Amino acid sequence: MFTKKKIIAFLAALAVFLAADLWMFSALKGSFAKTLGESQRQLATAVASSAPAEAEAVPAWLQAAGTSYPGVGLLYLRGLPGIDAEVAEYGRDEALVALYREAAASPGFAKGIESASYLETYLSTESYQVGATRARLLFAPVYNETRDMATGLVIVALDDSKLASFAGLADSLAIVAFALFALAFGVATFSRDPLTGYAILGLFGIAAAFVAYPLFQALKLTFLRDGRFSLSVWGQVLGNKQYLQALWGSVKLGCLTATYSTVIGFLFAFAVSRTTIKGKKLLTALATMPVISPPFSLTLSIILLFGNNGLVTKRLLNLEGFSIYGLGGLSLVQTISMFPIAFLTLSGVLQAIDSTLEEASLDLNASRWGTFKRVTMPLAAPGLLSAWLLVFTNSLADFANPLLLAGSYRVLSVESYIEVTGMNRLANGSALSILLLLPTLTAFFIQRSWVSKRSFVVVTGKPSGRLSDLASPGVRRALAGFIILVSVFIVSLYGTIVAGCFVKNWGIDYSFTLSNIGEALTRGKDALVSTLVLAGVATPIAGILSMIAAVLVVRKKFPGKRLLEALVMTPFAIPGTLVGISYILAFNQPPILLVGTGAILVICYVVRELPVGLEGGVATLRQIDPSIEEAASDLGADQATIFRTVVLPLIRPAFISSMSYTFVRSMTAVSAIIFLISARWYHITIQIYNFSENIRFGLASVLSTTLIVIVLAVFGLMRLLVRQSENLEKTVSVQ
Amino acid sequence: MNKQSVPVRLEKVTKIFKDPKTKTDVAAVNEADFEIAPGELVTLLGPSGCGKTTTLRMIGGFELPTRGRIVIGGEDVTFLPPNGRATATVFQSYGLFPHLSVFDNVAYGLRVRKVEKGELKRRVDEALALVGLSELAGRAPSRLSGGQQQRVALARSLVVEPKVLLLDEPLSNLDALLREQMRVEIRRIQKALGITAVYVTHDRVEAMSLSDRVIVMKNGVIRQVGSPSRIYEDPDSKFVAGFVGKVAFFPVTLEGEDGGAFVCSLSGKKVRAARRSPGVRSGDAAFLMARPESLRLGAPGAGVADGTVSANVYLGSSVESFVSTEYGEILVQIDDPAEKKVWPEGSRVSISFNEALIRVLPGGDD
Repeated sequence: MFTKKKIIAFLAALAVFLAADLWMFSALKGSFAKTLGESQRQLATAVASSAPAEAEAVPAWLQAAGTSYPGVGLLYLRGLPGIDAEVAEYGRDEALVALYREAAASPGFAKGIESASYLETYLSTESYQVGATRARLLFAPVYNETRDMATGLVIVALDDSKLASFAGLADSLAIVAFALFALAFGVATFSRDPLTGYAILGLFGIAAAFVAYPLFQALKLTFLRDGRFSLSVWGQVLGNKQYLQALWGSVKLGCLTATYSTVIGFLFAFAVSRTTIKGKKLLTALATMPVISPPFSLTLSIILLFGNNGLVTKRLLNLEGFSIYGLGGLSLVQTISMFPIAFLTLSGVLQAIDSTLEEASLDLNASRWGTFKRVTMPLAAPGLLSAWLLVFTNSLADFANPLLLAGSYRVLSVESYIEVTGMNRLANGSALSILLLLPTLTAFFIQRSWVSKRSFVVVTGKPSGRLSDLASPGVRRALAGFIILVSVFIVSLYGTIVAGCFVKNWGIDYSFTLSNIGEALTRGKDALVSTLVLAGVATPIAGILSMIAAVLVVRKKFPGKRLLEALVMTPFAIPGTLVGISYILAFNQPPILLVGTGAILVICYVVRELPVGLEGGVATLRQIDPSIEEAASDLGADQATIFRTVVLPLIRPAFISSMSYTFVRSMTAVSAIIFLISARWYHITIQIYNFSENIRFGLASVLSTTLIVIVLAVFGLMRLLVRQSENLEKTVSVQ
Repeated sequence: MNKQSVPVRLEKVTKIFKDPKTKTDVAAVNEADFEIAPGELVTLLGPSGCGKTTTLRMIGGFELPTRGRIVIGGEDVTFLPPNGRATATVFQSYGLFPHLSVFDNVAYGLRVRKVEKGELKRRVDEALALVGLSELAGRAPSRLSGGQQQRVALARSLVVEPKVLLLDEPLSNLDALLREQMRVEIRRIQKALGITAVYVTHDRVEAMSLSDRVIVMKNGVIRQVGSPSRIYEDPDSKFVAGFVGKVAFFPVTLEGEDGGAFVCSLSGKKVRAARRSPGVRSGDAAFLMARPESLRLGAPGAGVADGTVSANVYLGSSVESFVSTEYGEILVQIDDPAEKKVWPEGSRVSISFNEALIRVLPGGDD
């Protein structure tokens, strides 16, 4: 804590470090300047010594020097000003000539001319503005034949900007080094719990470097034109009909998908929590399947079934002029893959509504329909809206499905991808991704301000064990019929993918083959291995980081906690395309050159999956009595030991599910990483996309099936591990 | 007294919290200043929200004082984290490690200290024997009763041989019978080990029966420090008097001193009291404090205040008579009801004082 002695010691240490820091970096700058100056001087001397004494030869020499040393300003003076009566100027560089005319009498020029008259070269100590660049001037004499007298002078402008940029880099490095030292040393000196301090600093560092900084870069780019502030990018984006069409397309698709998904999700949730139909467990498992299945897989099977050469459309029905590509097909695929989100949200909501309320209504002689209308629906309404909003934002951010299935229909996520990779217009790409954020943010604030206020569900407390049956036999039959229909459709979609593995040429030749498997695995092996490696590296990092973050958020008090939480949670809310674009912008140049490495993919996975792990960790940790950790501390354990021996074992379920979630989501990522992959670090999902684009549906099916198997295996393993740890720890009950 | 016992001293310790709703500063503990002698068991007593637990948590290192110093055994520990000080806490909710067995729970502190295996086993066994749980060493905490969990928590704290034992309402989660047993047990163990102990409770009976000294707190302020009998017999305020036992107050004016007794006037009648709180001067408006056992009932007109018996509560060894008077409902305790007269409900009676036991307290509501 802040005692006088500590503050004095701290300031003294800072002063010592600052002195060392400044000395080191100025020495570095000095030696760099010296080497750079030396090489430039050699170059200039070489140029000058080749200068001819004869006037006729000068233009040719200037030309030659210009081609061999491009970008170097040259001025040839025949005769020394102030010494020789006649001085002729031969300049290649207008700006340099102008500078000479203006400053010929200045002390720097006088010294240079004087040195030349003594047959010496002179490098100006000050730098001059030559046209757009800062440059130092080298004055070199031109000798006569006997090399004993100067007949003229060559002035070479040496670009200073390299030195300046190096000096700038060195300065910023010196400042960063000092700031890091001051922070770390400050924590070590003043904090009674340095480890927590370091964890906070580290997490802030990660959030700043890999969330705030890239997003800032992306935002900055949309407000720049030729290095200056300008609104022209936004003017262009908002004035472009094609882009606005894409925005409208995204919103329209989002609304359709959200509405369909909410309806289907509600029917499923109602069936599970308010009726007595059988097979609820199976239904739940089936309904959650699409949410964990890899991207492209459902689109792929929709194309296989309903595409231009689809099994249903061509082979069975032989439809003409039917196209699955566009809004219809997209909303179908998105609904199938996103209604589980609505289902999970709404079954949570329905289960939390106390059934005694409905029983009270039935008891007061209301009919089942009346009870549903007057009690169940109003209570579930905020849940319905929040499910709708959740699906809406997911639909907007969706990239994989439109990429394959949009056809000529425009959506923002794909549009921004095309801008960046196809047209190389990074600024427009980021602007479009940011535009995509607007509906998402609106949805988020509606959720925050309206839904959370109107939610009655929390009032009830413990859910009652028994749920009331609100469906009459007829309704139940209709509901069951509908649900079976949807379920059969989902199952047949997955069946199609598996079938696709064994068909020679889907749409044309339906004969059985095993050759797809071999070819797909050979060609996809590298991508599969690198995806597994990268996801495997990202998983433990994300798991540990998210648990540490959860401990900090729940258990520690520190300034800036809300900011840190917001920063860590941000990647969850922003579309993957924006993350991808901003990473390209931020990390494709020194000092942080990461584009093309595996590291950038790992970082991207970690940062994107951290929010989910954090949420899980926070929820679990909130249920654990803080005095357990306090007891450990009291018994002599330091923060690291507490984390290892108490916290981690207690939040093991959250830890495991965070890790498996990260692994699966990393394996199945598309939107952000499609910008970041390289030849060395390829990604399995992109491989599937490429196979599909090239109409190699058999190969795409094999890889999709492989991915599905991996995902299911990981989730199975997770459930096994979590169940084990649940058995292990029945927390000590507090009466 | 144990050689290892150390004193604990709090010097003007203040803890200020920010009220999350009103954004104003609230002093949870205000200039707490007291010293605990080596081997002494001191109780922090007060209603909930009085700052007693915050005070304990500051001694344990879980909260940082806003101002002031905490000294344990001559060492300033104010800013040391919990793992840096020689205190051990028994938590209200026990804080047992649910993923570890009873043995491993108790061994935790020793493992952190890297105690050699053989000694570790010996010490854990010893601690478990001390609390009588030797045969349950292999169980998971979730399969223990509340009282057993309580004992594990105690053993776990004691096994690391702390210099100061801190107990935060350790018995509040137990049922009444178990609470009495554990009370005796804690007192026995604390005295056997001679360990300095701070005990937080809102239960006055617990505080009275356990402590060498009691510190009564209200709204973050220490109201009185003293032995249980002093706190009970000679409280210095209405609050302390009321908080540590049943009591009746009579509004009086202190008139003066007469032969070692303090003479008050109660609605014009002269009353003599042997005790007086130092804050009261002659001529002050004051309260006369009377515990149920310092009151007697007699025929109407004989005593200082007349009233009607509204209820009699039979408690076996005594009877509590509630008497409605102009000073409110007054509780009178009649010991040995078999031998003494119990006035039936509805009868007119008069209350008189046992001069030696009643005390003059300062006026005002507090």
